[in-house]
Amino acid sequence: MQLTIDALTKRYSGGVQALSNVSITIGPGVLGLLGPNGAGKSTLMRILATITQPTSGKVLWNNNDVSRNPDALRDVLGYLPQDFGVYPNLSALEFLEYLAAVKGIAAGAARRRIAELLELVNLTDVAKRPLGGFSGGMRQRVGIAQALLNDPQLLIVDEPTAGLDPEERVRFRNLLSELSGERIVILSTHIVSDVEAVATNIAILAHGRLLAHGSPESILDGVSGQVWELVVPSGDLPILRQRFPISSTAHRSDGVHVRIVSPAPPIMPGARVARPLEPSLEDAYLAVLAERRNEAGPTVVPRAAGVVA
Amino acid sequence: MIEVRAIDVRAIGAIARADFLERVRRYSFLLTMMFAIFLGYAAATGRIMIQLGGHRGVYTSAWVGALVALVTTCWVSLVGFYIVKGAIDRDRQTGVGQVLAATPLSRPTYTLGKFVSNFAVLASMVLVLAIAAVVMQIFLREDPRFDLFALLSPFVIVALPAMLLTAALAVLFETLPVLRGGVGNVVWFFVWAFLGVAFSAVTGIEWLDPLGNMTMANSMISGAYAHIPDYKGGFAFTIADKPVQVVQSFRWEGVPWTASQILMRLAWCGVAIVLVLLAAAVFDRFDSGRFFGRSRRNAGQAAGVGGAFANGATLANGAAASVASAPIDISARQAAARIAGPRLTALAVGERSSAFARLFVAELKLAVKGLHWWWYAVAAGLLIAQATAPIAAARQQLLGTSWVWLILVWSGMGARETRFGTRALLFSSARILPRQLLASWLAGFVLAVLFGSAAGLRIFATQGAGALLPWVAGAALLPSMALALGVFSGTSKPFEAVLTAMWYIGPMNRVSGIDYTGSSNGAAAMHYAVEYIAIAAALLVATAALRARQISSN
Repeated sequence: MQLTIDALTKRYSGGVQALSNVSITIGPGVLGLLGPNGAGKSTLMRILATITQPTSGKVLWNNNDVSRNPDALRDVLGYLPQDFGVYPNLSALEFLEYLAAVKGIAAGAARRRIAELLELVNLTDVAKRPLGGFSGGMRQRVGIAQALLNDPQLLIVDEPTAGLDPEERVRFRNLLSELSGERIVILSTHIVSDVEAVATNIAILAHGRLLAHGSPESILDGVSGQVWELVVPSGDLPILRQRFPISSTAHRSDGVHVRIVSPAPPIMPGARVARPLEPSLEDAYLAVLAERRNEAGPTVVPRAAGVVA
Repeated sequence: MIEVRAIDVRAIGAIARADFLERVRRYSFLLTMMFAIFLGYAAATGRIMIQLGGHRGVYTSAWVGALVALVTTCWVSLVGFYIVKGAIDRDRQTGVGQVLAATPLSRPTYTLGKFVSNFAVLASMVLVLAIAAVVMQIFLREDPRFDLFALLSPFVIVALPAMLLTAALAVLFETLPVLRGGVGNVVWFFVWAFLGVAFSAVTGIEWLDPLGNMTMANSMISGAYAHIPDYKGGFAFTIADKPVQVVQSFRWEGVPWTASQILMRLAWCGVAIVLVLLAAAVFDRFDSGRFFGRSRRNAGQAAGVGGAFANGATLANGAAASVASAPIDISARQAAARIAGPRLTALAVGERSSAFARLFVAELKLAVKGLHWWWYAVAAGLLIAQATAPIAAARQQLLGTSWVWLILVWSGMGARETRFGTRALLFSSARILPRQLLASWLAGFVLAVLFGSAAGLRIFATQGAGALLPWVAGAALLPSMALALGVFSGTSKPFEAVLTAMWYIGPMNRVSGIDYTGSSNGAAAMHYAVEYIAIAAALLVATAALRARQISSN
């Protein structure tokens, strides 16, 4: 089971370049796709879900060109778009029955699968109520259920935890982990902690380009020795923000504890010596984005010397 | 109570500007302008004309202005309503309405803003037609004199107030829950036909003439009596199907507008403003619970029950919450993954099928779901009437009305996926194109057969199976049209407008060719039936091609 993305480029009318020459090979497991807003994540998801055509490049499912026979992929695809709607007059049960028929699932299997999925997303009790009365989180759970209807080998979920409360989010992440064993799951999000919790592979996308791709460990290795904690007076925080990517701050009695991503230890007059920290995925993500900005334009991170004058 | 003091002119301008820009940047605005250009072309080439007892006067500037202004008031007011209605619904669908509702924006400011935007769109169409009138006068040159005031005054005095009224009524319809959807689209046709066109003509009351056509017609009729010797009355604004005689001595110079006539037109502008303020008074300010308390209660109840993902979620919280906040920790991830939820049974290869029969049933359910009991009661009443009324009425007016009663059921076909945002879910499914489109059409066809069955059975019983062809053709044509217009436009409005007009012109007024029941087509009934079936098939092929394009580039 393999999904190959080969030199994928997408240019929208009006000249907007959503994807530039993106290539990745994906095997079973969870690929966490990270990137800021407008990075091209949803465009990539839509191309992989066969509902948008790339300008150039190919998507291969088990070495077969998807553009030539999209139905071969659609048969094994589960897709949860970032924005989707439901028919408000149908109940959750009827909506799932409708989509099961659309996906060509046999009647008995559809009944069994829908019952299991409704239980999984905890909508059994409200399965016969009109979807028009559902909250945003409940609709999102209906979306998750429909994505799993056909027992997909390729599950593409675009910002799936949007609208879910923290408890639901955790449960959904666990579900993705369980599902990923024998299938490919692509999880697109800008919530780093969601990816951190479940991804077996990570890809970072910005401005339509693939900036990094690898296991969480290798991504973390890339930023090893580049994460620091500096304690500064709160008045120095604005100037620090201008110079370094800051992944978090915490106000304490002795000052502001600032988590900084920098190749060299940041130095601030009047501040204590920076203390090295174990990197998190969020640190690595910020470092990759900062490096890209550094290459593309005005210097944000002083790579050679992390010193504030 | 209307918050007149809370009207903010700057905010009205901002709402109108944003709404207008949103519309003009849509593909549909281009189609709107093309429609206006088509009307201008039809007038300029003599396809639409004013006839007075088979005669017409010389195309003076005043005549050309009046002709194109009549085209504007009649057609742009009818079609333009369907074009502009939807400004508030768009805010409702996109969620912008909720953002606006959370601001201090008053209801009159909002409705006036939408009214101005509606008017701006309609005025753009009037402008295109006014330019067409100028071009027509320059190139036709039946009258060498060029009188700009006579040419353009009908647009300013007659057409623009009519557009104000149309714009205001579109806002009012959108704020009244009962007229907001498809019912309003059907009702508008009759409001336009009776109040806008027929009422003043039948009663002869000049002040009861919102579209303002009667003043021009009366002036032309007076001129006709003076210049056409054998003129015996009559004024027709019509599609030119027979040659007319041009009376060279009849040079109509326009309406000598009096102060009272101008005031009458201004009064209709005032009525438009009153209608918009009335709309503000009934506008729910995007609070659906204001009129539909039931749906709000449902939402609350449902939200209370379906709280979170099932089983294991509570158990999962402790371990997995730590995963959420901590730096990456492989062991924590594995711990979270171990927490078991309900098991899903894998689907076997043989558990996939085309599932067409279930898809058809699901499409049928989707089409009729949400209809009220009274809808079924009326449908059943019409069916009983088909079975018991004289056969002539049963197969024409009653069958025609039974099928038009399905208008809101059919009009969702093809448009539903766009309106409710389910395109991505459907279009990413395998072999969706032939199956879902056919299932949807078949559901529409079966409903036509079902709700026209009593008339069909009586035709079969009295005239034999051969006579059923027109009935079958009508049942096939209408869902094909609905599907085609729905897929093409992404909205239900075009089909609602077209079928209402067809019903009124065809089965009710017995115009052959338009009568989809086939009863008015006389000896040509079989010929028309074959044509209808061919059109239905062609529409289905075109719809499939368009849907294929939508699927590949959604």
